[in-house]
Amino acid sequence: MSTDDNAAGTAEEAQVEVVDTFDDTIWDTVNRTLRAVDVRPERSALDLIIHIPHADIIRGLRMLKQDADLQFNYLRCLTAVDNESEGIDVVYQLYSVPKNINLTVKTTLPNENKVIETATTVWKAANWLERETAEMFGVSFSGHPDPRPLLMPEDIDMSDTYPLLKSHPFAEIDVLQGEILGHDRDAEGEG
Amino acid sequence: MVVDTSATEFETQDLLLNVGPQHPSTHGVFRMVLEIDGELVKDLVPYIGYLHRGAEKLCENNDFRQGIGYMDRTEYLAAHNAELSYVMAVEALAEIEVPERAQWIRMILCELNRISSHFMFLGAFGVDVGVFGTPFIYGWRERERIIDLFEEISGDRMMFAYFRAGGLAWEVPLNFPERVREVLESARQGVKDFDGLLTQNEIFIARTKNVGVITADDAIEMGMSGPTIRASGVPLDLRKTEPYLQYDQISFETITADGGDVFDRYLVRLQEISQSIDLIEQCLERLEDGPIMPEKMPRMLRLPEGEVYIRTEAPRGEYGIYMVSKGGNKPHRLKVRSACLSNLQALKQMCVGQYVADAIIVLGSIDIVLSEVDR
Repeated sequence: MSTDDNAAGTAEEAQVEVVDTFDDTIWDTVNRTLRAVDVRPERSALDLIIHIPHADIIRGLRMLKQDADLQFNYLRCLTAVDNESEGIDVVYQLYSVPKNINLTVKTTLPNENKVIETATTVWKAANWLERETAEMFGVSFSGHPDPRPLLMPEDIDMSDTYPLLKSHPFAEIDVLQGEILGHDRDAEGEG
Repeated sequence: MVVDTSATEFETQDLLLNVGPQHPSTHGVFRMVLEIDGELVKDLVPYIGYLHRGAEKLCENNDFRQGIGYMDRTEYLAAHNAELSYVMAVEALAEIEVPERAQWIRMILCELNRISSHFMFLGAFGVDVGVFGTPFIYGWRERERIIDLFEEISGDRMMFAYFRAGGLAWEVPLNFPERVREVLESARQGVKDFDGLLTQNEIFIARTKNVGVITADDAIEMGMSGPTIRASGVPLDLRKTEPYLQYDQISFETITADGGDVFDRYLVRLQEISQSIDLIEQCLERLEDGPIMPEKMPRMLRLPEGEVYIRTEAPRGEYGIYMVSKGGNKPHRLKVRSACLSNLQALKQMCVGQYVADAIIVLGSIDIVLSEVDR
């Protein structure tokens, strides 16, 4: 009897190693809620991540908010990640106040067409976060009620590059101590 | 004599009033344009970004240890709490176990920082309401004692850079527990002083009760956090809902109020000071000798690929760090989730329909730190 149990246990462990079933996460409920959408799960160090195609993102987010078992009614954070040649990821950190569960939703936008529907229709909290993401990454959120820049000056020209893209130049910092300062001092002395 | 204003032929016009960015009551470089009809606020447009320094871009171009210093500068009134989120993100990605002693000391420092930050709020808020002088000096006095203690530990009054991925930079001074108890003793008296000065003060209550109300549902919808959402009756405290460090080992209750007005936001913060004092005393009892860093820590951290969103309960609410690593010694992407930014979004909703003078205290009651909003 006990040997059978052990055998079953090892068989299960072996299966987990091959295919991650995400049994310890909320993946089952999420997958059931989003059965009409093409979703893919992934693990992070803390929360479950799901990938949704960018065409379905708002539909998916609204389903996640309205589902009775999930109720993701709180948008913690919204931002983007520049993956250079692989496009831009828009990342939503969701939290459910009634159920106390977390979920990360990611969607990938191609570099040629960085347009996505606004999430302000789902949570009002997305308003400023989307404005910031738009000015920093050049992602345009269609249907946004107030698409002005948030942190950047209004008169700045950002048509060709955006500050948080990896291709945007980063100024070299002058190190005003140690050898460099000593070197400059010598140069001044000579002059 | 009653004047029938509807019969007069005068045309009325709404006035645009600019407040800030250089104005003491905006708590930094915050600007708002009020559309006012007499004394009533009809519309409010906030402008932020005057203190934007690109902290995220800087962190992405510096290694994991250097990033700690930038965190201090985003949230300078609660720098320990800001550092905590950052080092916890690095630890989660690198799978570093933090020794227990380091965790308890981190908790004590973060709670002390919460006390100092809340005292700073009480002082500045008193000025906003119009009680000039006394509360401001009371608040600064208590904060100063805590800052002195921080200086003894880390060598700096505000930009501590004392936490490290894995633990702490160095051991605390030998008299640390006694010094903390000393500071707590005076903080306890400080709470009593504020309580006697403001909580029962008739004028203070008249100014703050039922002003700037936001309901629980709206607060959740706007993504508010910290004392601002707890004052609306939502028991959202990350120390309780998602315990980190050793918060599940000690006993405390989430403090809420149900009015959602300016007075409740004040009251929640005042009670949280007493709560933090209590928490620190529990931590001091559990503090034991031991290592403050894991045994084998590389000099230069290189993280494996992965991503994590770490959130901790800072004095102003949820301070989150979203870190993406693609290998190497620098984060590929670092996003700072600012609690004040999300709280400030709700300002318009709280102010419209109120008097101009009330808009100032509503802004004060959110307790914004502009360097955290703009980053």
